[in-house]
Amino acid sequence: MFKILINLALKNAFLRASRAILLVIMIGASMGVMVSIEGLYEGMTSNMIDKTIRSDSGDISMFAKEYRLKNDIKYSIKNATDIAKTLDTLESVEAIVTRVKVSGLAQSATKAYPSDLIGVNFEDEQKFGKFSDFIKEGNLSLGKYGCVVGVELAKNLKLKLNSKVVFTSQDANNQIQSKLFRVKAIIHTTNINLDTRAILTNKNRVSLYLGIPETTATQIAIRSKKDNLQEILKKKYKNFDVLSFKDLNPQLTQMKTMTDIFNSITFSIVMFVVFIGVLGVMYVSILDRIREFGIMLALGYEYKYIRLQVMFEALFLGLGGFILGSIIGYLLLLYLNIYGLNLSDFADGMQSFGMSSILYAQIKLSYFTTSLYAILLASILSVFIPLRKIKKLNPVDVIKADA
Amino acid sequence: MIKLKDVQKYFYKGEEREVHALKNINLEIEKGEFSVLTGASGCGKTTLLNAIGVLDQISSGSIELEGKEIAHLNSDEKTKIRLNDMGFVFQAYNLVPVLNVRDNIAFIMRLQGYSEDRIKTRVLEIAQLLEIDNKLDSLPSLLSGGQQQRVAVARAVASKPKIILADEPTANLDSKNSQSLMDMMKELNEKEGVTILFASHDEYVVKSVNRIIKLDDGALV
Ligand SMILES: Nc1ncnc2c1ncn2[C@@H]1O[C@H](COP(=O)(O)OP(=O)(O)O)[C@@H](O)[C@H]1O
Ligand SMILES: [Mg+2]
Repeated sequence: MFKILINLALKNAFLRASRAILLVIMIGASMGVMVSIEGLYEGMTSNMIDKTIRSDSGDISMFAKEYRLKNDIKYSIKNATDIAKTLDTLESVEAIVTRVKVSGLAQSATKAYPSDLIGVNFEDEQKFGKFSDFIKEGNLSLGKYGCVVGVELAKNLKLKLNSKVVFTSQDANNQIQSKLFRVKAIIHTTNINLDTRAILTNKNRVSLYLGIPETTATQIAIRSKKDNLQEILKKKYKNFDVLSFKDLNPQLTQMKTMTDIFNSITFSIVMFVVFIGVLGVMYVSILDRIREFGIMLALGYEYKYIRLQVMFEALFLGLGGFILGSIIGYLLLLYLNIYGLNLSDFADGMQSFGMSSILYAQIKLSYFTTSLYAILLASILSVFIPLRKIKKLNPVDVIKADA
Repeated sequence: MIKLKDVQKYFYKGEEREVHALKNINLEIEKGEFSVLTGASGCGKTTLLNAIGVLDQISSGSIELEGKEIAHLNSDEKTKIRLNDMGFVFQAYNLVPVLNVRDNIAFIMRLQGYSEDRIKTRVLEIAQLLEIDNKLDSLPSLLSGGQQQRVAVARAVASKPKIILADEPTANLDSKNSQSLMDMMKELNEKEGVTILFASHDEYVVKSVNRIIKLDDGALV
């Protein structure tokens, strides 16, 4: 019974080949494009998240209480180096860095901009987030006066390699201090805070400049895959703020939500295209075969089997579209994953939003499984309207029609 | 085997005009009969055949198949009766276009859940009898009218229904094909003992059958 039904459905679905092929192409193309956009969009988001984690927040960051509110080095972690050493022995901690940061003003020969002087250990940063990947120009042989500048800050201050830049701020004793640096490298992190404000140099120099011990830091950043590490650290270090990446970057979390919304929209659009497409084709196909269905009803083929047969026909068409869509989508995604989509024409604007100028797509199985569900569901739903034609059918009228 | 009691059928065209298509029909068809309902065009042959085949609702009266009332069942039950107890041959051959001859003949048997082995033997047996065994792999559209009608007969007979109802089966055939179709159906009736009821005013049909049931303006004469 089932065999004959599937057999009939399969043969009928692709009987009118041009119609079926057109529909399959329509579904396939829309799914392929949607899947690629989805992959690009998610690639962009996760790229931003990845770079922010690597260049700044890690998975978890610890600050002295009040520091983030007051942005004052008075509120710093005194024995940061020891804490970092202790934490580094934990199995779940993959990498750890300490940083000291102070806000002030950066001046070039012609311009002045608010900026942050950040003291880091570049070796640790390399282990923490592959810092060298961010370098756009120059290298990390800083010498005594060298510094690394964010790409947007460099642009704003018109800094080139070896340009001089003066940083001015208050030190730990509330005295105004200035320090002259030479730009040895320019970095592009797509992390907007760093790109527009950061002047990085060795941590011991910043400590010296600020008049604080080298063991002091304003931030301890941790890379870890362990989910409950934040809770453990919160309990252990009650007098610090222990914040996750999500706590620190609500805008990126929002972007993730946006991605989800975007994906549901994608899902709906694909579903709609499939629904309308299959509906149209099945409607015409059923009208073409009203007589055939009438005969089958007369011979004793029950309506429920016709309904099932028609559903399978729609499913086969949808499935054909899905297979084509998967091929198109996968190839597009593969291309976009390897070569990326170059947006350099718009890139000036985008970079300041923290995006790279080349977007690389992500490839996830879920793009395809979601599309599959959407297509199957839409295909099945689409037959109910055309089926009403058959339900109303009286076989006697059909048989009579030829007499 | 089939017993019609006081069967009436009205068609309502719009509100006012009605057609009294079957007038108080009392009729009995015996097992193994080879008979024809005949009469002028519009006298009610098709209507009566459709009533017996539970394709169409009658207005009053009763139809019994082997003692069981079948005229007033619900539509699912009627579909089952048509599938299991009736074989149909229509004027237009009405084969399933996407299925080849073999699968068309096997169609009803498959719906009934016969094993593939039995289907295979039976299809071959019946196809040989109807001389279409060399066409089993063709699609219906490639066959002549006479061949298609023989496939339709094969489909109707294959599952050994209690009765075969054939409405003007020769109407679209030339005389040669009509004669050979009737010969084969007669052979089926004799060899397999299948009950066959025609509706036709075709001379080839009328002269081949064993019993002639005359209808005039909806009434038996
Ligand atoms: N669906 C219908 N609606 C109205 N009248 C019908 C319908 N079907 C048949 N009739 C009428 O019933 C009568 C018998 O028709 P039918 O059984 O088709 O005759 P036959 O098969 O003997 O030519 C005719 O007068 C015909 O016009
Ligand atoms: Mg008729």
